[in-house]
Amino acid sequence: MATQLSGPPVQISAERQIVAFSLGSELYGVDISKVREIIPSQKIVRVPRAPEFVEGIINLRGRVIPVLDLRKHFGLPRSQSAEDQRIILVEDEYDSIGVVVDAVSSVMQIPVDSIEPPAQVIVGPDVEYIEGIAKVDDDLIVLVDLTKIISDAEKRTLKEAKNP
Amino acid sequence: MIREAEAKEYAKDLEVLLAETDEILANTEQNLVLLEKAPSDSALLQELFRAMHTLKGGAATLGLEEAVSVCHGMETVLDEVRTGQRSVTSEMMNGLFKVLDWLKDWRNAIGEGAEGPPASGILPVVEALQICPSPSEGPQSNVPLKWPETCEKLPAKGAAGALTASLEALVSQGNPVYVLTVRFRTDAPLLSVRCFQVLTLVEEVAEVAGSSPSLEDIENDKASDALTLYVVGEKESEQAQRIAATVQDVVEVSMRRYTVNTTIAGASSPDKKPEIRVEKTALGKTVRVDVALLDSLMNMVGELVIDRTRLSQIAARLMSNSETAAVGSEISSLASHLQRTSSELQDGLMRARLLPLKSIVGKFPRMVRDLSRRCGKETVFSMTGESTEMDRTVLEAIDDPLIHLLRNAVDHGIEMPDERERLGKPKAGNIRLSAWYEDNQILVRVEDDGAGMDPERIRRTAVKKGLITEEASRKLSEQEICELVFLPGLSTASETTEVSGRGVGMDVARQNLERVNGRIELWTRPGEGTQVTLRLPLTLSIMRALLVKCADEVYAIPTSSVEEIFSLKDQSIGSVRGKQAMKVRDRIVPLVSLKGVLSDSPWQRDGSRYALLTRTQAQPVALGVEELLGEEEIVVKELRGLLSRVRGVAGATILAEGDPAVILDINRIL
Repeated sequence: MATQLSGPPVQISAERQIVAFSLGSELYGVDISKVREIIPSQKIVRVPRAPEFVEGIINLRGRVIPVLDLRKHFGLPRSQSAEDQRIILVEDEYDSIGVVVDAVSSVMQIPVDSIEPPAQVIVGPDVEYIEGIAKVDDDLIVLVDLTKIISDAEKRTLKEAKNP
Repeated sequence: MIREAEAKEYAKDLEVLLAETDEILANTEQNLVLLEKAPSDSALLQELFRAMHTLKGGAATLGLEEAVSVCHGMETVLDEVRTGQRSVTSEMMNGLFKVLDWLKDWRNAIGEGAEGPPASGILPVVEALQICPSPSEGPQSNVPLKWPETCEKLPAKGAAGALTASLEALVSQGNPVYVLTVRFRTDAPLLSVRCFQVLTLVEEVAEVAGSSPSLEDIENDKASDALTLYVVGEKESEQAQRIAATVQDVVEVSMRRYTVNTTIAGASSPDKKPEIRVEKTALGKTVRVDVALLDSLMNMVGELVIDRTRLSQIAARLMSNSETAAVGSEISSLASHLQRTSSELQDGLMRARLLPLKSIVGKFPRMVRDLSRRCGKETVFSMTGESTEMDRTVLEAIDDPLIHLLRNAVDHGIEMPDERERLGKPKAGNIRLSAWYEDNQILVRVEDDGAGMDPERIRRTAVKKGLITEEASRKLSEQEICELVFLPGLSTASETTEVSGRGVGMDVARQNLERVNGRIELWTRPGEGTQVTLRLPLTLSIMRALLVKCADEVYAIPTSSVEEIFSLKDQSIGSVRGKQAMKVRDRIVPLVSLKGVLSDSPWQRDGSRYALLTRTQAQPVALGVEELLGEEEIVVKELRGLLSRVRGVAGATILAEGDPAVILDINRIL
């Protein structure tokens, strides 16, 4: 980037586009580039003896895709109403993986300067999945890296399978 | 840019050469093993000679000089034998095998883009094999391809005038001359090698008076997609025509009589309507397809099957109402047509995935030969049913187990020659690999007429290793004891030798088979031999399964793992030492409920109404289920990533209603 820009500074990618969703009473956000598709909730079939955070499998146009439950991952209580439940499809190494969320509120533009790095105090072991915390109006949105959660989960199950 | 194009061209040629080399080396290996038994078989020698010749030609076009000189040396040795100057000795066989191994190493090296091993490592062996060592051909000398003697009368330099003159002379002497025009696929790589192959083959059946391009041009890689041969004699020419058509990439071979005013090719156009045509049939009409593409096509057919089932259900619903019955029956007939089409599609795709057993067993004769020599044993190895076809995944899964079984047969099965003689058995032990279809299964069997297994020794070892208690082991039948060899950890140190200690054990062999829904069966009798039979499914991606309901979820259980289904009645259930069991005819089998198994909680009488008698390796188990929904053909969907290693889950399928269902692997879930 040797080119010098003349004239008034142009703001480039000073905003991030995120998909905001809720889990229980908390708001989360995931970068839109990581989201492949958002589908309405559908029948999730349990897989016996699967890792705990795997909710089950769904049929996505003839493909069988695993679905994760983030609430279990974040230690949140299960929500009762399935009305607004959505499945966010994220790409992983093999295919897609679904993540069940309570509701998808909107696609938002968040100014980069309103995103703060995660404060060490408030987060525990899951700190590495949290990219930052954005303040939008009066709400706090936790920006998470879903792909990292999934790939770590995969690595963990592989390791467990190797040394039972 | 030119360089880039050249490099691409080279890469393409190399790929073709590698594929061809694999085939040649595999055949050569088999033929060498055969040659050892039939040292004067001239057809065999001829084939070996030709194989080396073709390989040399291929390597020469790509400038792979090291291999050229090695092949050339091999050729010389084989030629000496072929022409009766000497006979095959066991020393020579060992040398030939060594050279073959060098060629294999060479092929692997260039396949990985590496420099091949230096020929200097093997040339001394080659030279020692020859009576009169041929002057070694330095890498710089642009090795000319050596021709069988008959070729020498080909007019030199391909000068059209000289050729015309010699042809006219032949015709005037009353020799009928025929013009054979061989057309290759225009995009065929290694054209000069193909031309060369055609020429060599035709040379074997007929006198070739000349060719265009000339031999020299072909050697200098100046070949095009058409080759014209001038062949003497009508019958010979017809034979030549047939033979030429067998060469790879040949599209058409036409034949017409040469008349004196016919101009020599180059000027004559091969487009002229030929008098006789031999259209090439199935030979060479194959394409390479990526397995991933086949898989995705198979998935789509799977979708079609699901849609068809759905359509039938809709039709049934419509037909049950008198107002819509007419539409319903129309849809129903449409659905049954769709069923026929989709099942034919499915069959076709399934066949596309099949490979003959031949593709993996080629290495076995050599392996058995080498192992037998190392163990000081004499063996006769035979194979039948190599053309039995099976899914490539199945082939992959049985490759290692077969190696293991054959090693076992040589190492543990067959006795030493003097021991066999003492027992009144033929000195050489028989080892047989056979394959055949039975019902809707493929059976592959490895058997030997050796010592068989000693149940007492296996029992003691198993007890010593803590795999079974002394008390329990006393209760097992001899057959059951022998099946203990499938347990992990039984293979003992005293049993492990250099030969069979490597690779997979019987437990891994069994696991491999279970992964592809296969089973392994063992029969052995002390002093008489051992027979191990692999039972394999014909196809993989689509299977018949029992759909059962358990705790409101539907599960698919492969029909192949269910022996029998019983309706559960209270009186048939008892308990043995606090555990549920049921009586099946005169056997007592443990009874567990699927619900209990899946939740890892002990059996309670939780509404199971049926029991499936499972077909497991060790001991059958009755599996209680709440509801039976029927038997169906299901499409197996692989579970990847997170769910690929869940124990007892073989995959998933999509039911007619569109919901996914888990396919249970009964052998691993219990």
